[in-house]
Amino acid sequence: MRWRAAVALLLAVLSLSACRRDQASQVRLCGSAGQLRVGYVGAEEGRARGGQAVLSDQDLARMRDLLTVASRCEVLLEPVASPEQARQRLGGGEWDAAFLPAGLAALALEGSGSGGYNLVRPLGQRSQSRSQLLVPAASTRRTPQQLQGARLGLLPRGSLTGFYLPLYNLHGLSLRSVHYALSYGELLEQLRAGKLDVIAWDAALPDPGADVRLLSEDRNAIPVGALVLSQALVAADHQPFLQVLDQSAAQLPPGLGYVAGVLPEAQRLQRLRAVVNNVESWDLPLEGQPYAVYGRKLQLTPEDQR
Amino acid sequence: MRFPVLQGWMVGSGQRPLRKQLAITLSAIFALSILVAVLLLNQLFGLQARDLIDQRSSFFMDAMLAVREYTSKDVNPIVAPLNEGPGVFRPEAVPSYSAQTVFSYLKAKPEYRDYSYREAALNPTNLRDKADSFETGVIERFRNDPSLKVIAGEKATPLGPMHFVARPIKITKESCLVCHSTPDRAPASQLLTYGDSSGFGWKLNEIVGTQIVTVPQKAVFEAKDRSLFTTALLFVIAFVAVGLITNTVLNQLILRPMREISRKAEEASVTPATVSFDERNRNDEIGLLARSFERMKQSLAISMQMLKDRQGRS
Ligand code: HEC
Repeated sequence: MRWRAAVALLLAVLSLSACRRDQASQVRLCGSAGQLRVGYVGAEEGRARGGQAVLSDQDLARMRDLLTVASRCEVLLEPVASPEQARQRLGGGEWDAAFLPAGLAALALEGSGSGGYNLVRPLGQRSQSRSQLLVPAASTRRTPQQLQGARLGLLPRGSLTGFYLPLYNLHGLSLRSVHYALSYGELLEQLRAGKLDVIAWDAALPDPGADVRLLSEDRNAIPVGALVLSQALVAADHQPFLQVLDQSAAQLPPGLGYVAGVLPEAQRLQRLRAVVNNVESWDLPLEGQPYAVYGRKLQLTPEDQR
Repeated sequence: MRFPVLQGWMVGSGQRPLRKQLAITLSAIFALSILVAVLLLNQLFGLQARDLIDQRSSFFMDAMLAVREYTSKDVNPIVAPLNEGPGVFRPEAVPSYSAQTVFSYLKAKPEYRDYSYREAALNPTNLRDKADSFETGVIERFRNDPSLKVIAGEKATPLGPMHFVARPIKITKESCLVCHSTPDRAPASQLLTYGDSSGFGWKLNEIVGTQIVTVPQKAVFEAKDRSLFTTALLFVIAFVAVGLITNTVLNQLILRPMREISRKAEEASVTPATVSFDERNRNDEIGLLARSFERMKQSLAISMQMLKDRQGRS
């Protein structure tokens, strides 16, 4: 019957017009909330003073766009200056992906409660990074044992060279107080101003000058940082996302040191991961409070004897 | 303009059975009216869908203002002393943090999945809230025209066009300035978390940012197309029903009696005396036709009788 055919045709036209706006579906990589929440600490920590511009406005905008294009998802890019803040975000599973330095990458692998993260790309150049302790040149303290009763300056919890390694190496000491700053530069200023007796330092930083002296240096080489993805994203189809990032690596901030197409070597982190976990199991110092560095200490074989 | 084919179909030209002619005419009329209705409704539903989304967005922003208010009034006094202490900064005291957190819970519901909410600022505390170039433009418009309360429209993004609704964020309370004026007034723990280089220097009554709700245009169109499709489907169902009923009525009222009359007329052409057009008692056009046939039958019978008589005489 002709009119039935006409009705069928009309229905077909209507349903076609309803679908017309569906674009060819592209692979989207989103977190649980339908957004991609990306944390950004960078490959190194404690460099930017006062938390200033972990990312410049221009880099921030460019990176947000690149991540949006790569994931086909709305991106919330959160640059943070404080490793402590990053640690909490990772612990609460509030980031789906993050650009992290080594210490936080090690923490991310543990993933307390949220299923953890996987390392997918290395960040940063292999550098001269080593955890050091600096005292004023005039200080009478010559060995770490003499730091009993000292005022210690650290980066916030979450930093490897600025928090975990110094505390690990000061195990057994009682400190008069512990103070935090967001950058090594600020710690150095406070050391010079006589507000602190000893500060954490990173050997990769420019020479601090003749008025301060190296007290001790940790022997562990600091591995590079990593881009990490949450387990949920790793389980999803994340290859297209990484491909876009790899192809556009030149658009990422140059200081980030993103290495395209390479998987990070997680076992390089193994040793420091043990340190991080060990220190995390202690009661940790609060800003301005006295602190006895105490807890069960894991003995590591020195790296050069392995 | 003339459409000979259409005219041939619709105006009874007698090429096809009545039932078919009617069916064709009806479907043509129905198809045309559905098409016109759909075109008009498309516009109407588009406006309605956008309206609904604007309403919802406004509601979200009001709800978020309420959450902010609650945090400033009820939560901050309790949490603020903790932030002065040696512990880590508790963002639960921050109005913006609670608003964005509450929204993220809302967003977990499928109905609100498409919506996103941001509090973008020119000089934000959390760099995540840094206004992009588009948002900066919106904030500048609010700053230049203090009477402007809402801006809505479309914006292009790498994910396709988005519909947005934005409102200004103005610092109306002195209490905000504790954390947003100078670093030395802010809690020490806040400085250790966010640093001291951004999110400061805000002034009372300054417009510092914008609340902005965005929804993909696609979602607006989808909502519209869903209503449109349902309505069109209802139209089609109604018209098919009307078509079927018309068909039955046509059959009962006209076609059946006409076939009956036609059969009797055929019979009457041979033996007029035995045939009776009972439909002549009806008051409608069928009755009229039956009466005409009855008269014709009687004339025929008389003529045949006369013919017979004449043949008998000769
Ligand atoms: C307890 C300190 C504190 C108070 C009081 C406070 N804020 Fe904030 N505000 C913050 C912090 C910290 C953030 C960043 C929160 C985050 O990480 O999401 C913030 C974020 C914001 C943002 C988002 C943009 C940005 O800077 O990241 C706006 C807008 C804002 N605050 C406005 C206000 C207004 C308006 C008031 C007064 C009703 C107020 N704040 C009171 C600390 C505070």
